[in-house]
Amino acid sequence: MTELVAPITRTMTAARPPSSRRLGDIRRKVWPYFLMLPTMGLIVAFTLYPLVQGLYMSLFKRGVVVLPQARQTLPQYVGLDNFVSLIDNADFRISLLKTVIFVVVAVPLNVVLSLALAVLLQPQTKLFAFARTVVFFPSMISLLIIGITWRWLFGLNNGLVNYVLSLASIAPVPWLEQDTMAQIAVVVAWIWWQAGVNMMIFLSGLTAISPDYYEAASIDGTSKWRQFTHITLPLLRPTMAVVVVLSSIEAFKVYELVVSLTGGGPGKATVYLIQTIYDTAFQLPMQAGIAAAQSAVLFVVLMVLAIVQLRLARSKA
Amino acid sequence: MTNASSPTRLALVALVLVVFLLPPVWLFLSALKPQAEIFQWPPTLWPANPTLENFVNTISRAKFLLFFKNSAIVSVLSAFLSVTISVMAGYALAKFRFKGDTIFFLLIMSSLMVPLQIIMIPVFLVLRDLGLLETLAGVIIAPAATPTGVFLMRQYIVNIPDSLLEAARLDKTPEWRILWRIVVPLSLPAIGTLLAFNLVWRWNDYLWPFLIITDQDQWTVQLAIANSIGRFGIDWPKLLSMSVLSVLPVLVVFTALQRLMMGGIMAGATKE
Repeated sequence: MTELVAPITRTMTAARPPSSRRLGDIRRKVWPYFLMLPTMGLIVAFTLYPLVQGLYMSLFKRGVVVLPQARQTLPQYVGLDNFVSLIDNADFRISLLKTVIFVVVAVPLNVVLSLALAVLLQPQTKLFAFARTVVFFPSMISLLIIGITWRWLFGLNNGLVNYVLSLASIAPVPWLEQDTMAQIAVVVAWIWWQAGVNMMIFLSGLTAISPDYYEAASIDGTSKWRQFTHITLPLLRPTMAVVVVLSSIEAFKVYELVVSLTGGGPGKATVYLIQTIYDTAFQLPMQAGIAAAQSAVLFVVLMVLAIVQLRLARSKA
Repeated sequence: MTNASSPTRLALVALVLVVFLLPPVWLFLSALKPQAEIFQWPPTLWPANPTLENFVNTISRAKFLLFFKNSAIVSVLSAFLSVTISVMAGYALAKFRFKGDTIFFLLIMSSLMVPLQIIMIPVFLVLRDLGLLETLAGVIIAPAATPTGVFLMRQYIVNIPDSLLEAARLDKTPEWRILWRIVVPLSLPAIGTLLAFNLVWRWNDYLWPFLIITDQDQWTVQLAIANSIGRFGIDWPKLLSMSVLSVLPVLVVFTALQRLMMGGIMAGATKE
């Protein structure tokens, strides 16, 4: 149909008087730019420009200046000093290490759990559809509320988790009062929040596998487990890669959850990278340059992950 | 795996339901308990004396309704703004060839790699220079452009036949009318999905309002909740009821549009 219409359009425009045609052409040429303008404007103002500005700031010694009159203290160019100083910066080192450990522990657990959920809840009946909705719903709740929910569940003397443990005669666990336990609590709450989204991605991967493979395998008498390891897993590898990368990026950004679940405590046990960056910039002695350098380090990590993801997504398609 | 109705499988599904249903239900049930019962050990599963007292107290607290109103204004306006500009940009990228179109698309998609968390300091400075600090306008406008929105709309609008648009152009229909009368009505399913997601995202936003707002009269619900968590001594009856109230709108949107939203996730539009 398109091919039929196009030539007619051309004759029609040619037949129009020249002046109005020119006006129409100009309008038509400007139109797509006009359509792009609001989105591009906002993306430049609130993402791309700040990104460049942030990288630039990382080369200066400066504080966050809130009031215009406080601008008199000019930022001082220090080259890569901010980055070098990170090596001796204990807060940064420890929170980076903790974040990496968090990612390394939480992401694999999450992938295994969400894949198991996807396989378990795959059948197309009402019960399973309901269960999928239930699993997916937490990811629609704000991480702040997820943190509060789990803080309530992990309560030492009134929490449901310790109550369930007490039914099995296990002494109350000080989930949020002890360093390692608090870190485990963050992992549990995070996985509970993130599992639904990953399950949905796995489900879309599972539906893409042709049932013929399984039929053929069943006729050959292959066990269900072998079908899973020899058909499902290999064919799911691209989906798996996407899930791993997406949840790693998400895990590196862990912050809002901690705000309400542990408040970074006990002590500084659950202070992760984003909180360190924020505190460095906005708490006295407000070292915005150093915070910008910390952000730049995290940006490089996330960019590498994102590029890997794009590669994988492309090879999937 | 084993067939859908095998006992093992049903037992596992029951376990999954407990693990994923119990926490929110427990939060809700706890909020219905009077102060004394909330901290009772062993805990009562079902409230022995259910009461709406915590909710009434929270709502009657001077400013809670104001925070709710602020959140409602922010999420509704921001969602509409976001959908509008995503439709515009998605339409341009789907149906027009123009200089720089690929670069625009790449720039928009690349902003996916730049989470707010790592640019919050310079973003704060931009907001300050634009005079958006301490304004709800800042919370509405700043997060409105989302790569997911543009991408979702572009993918959907690509499938609208060119012939429809060309026919309208033959009739000398103005371009904005083609967008409004042809493209928008035909994209309603995608628009609905995107609107639902945006409402939820903006309702849940914590970091944006946290950067922009300190003035209590401008707080959103999330800010109010975050601010009522002290490191020590939490007013649990208050916090539990606030949390439940803050999830209700999300529950409503999600229940109404869950098919669309779950479909949206499966179509690959994960998060922002």
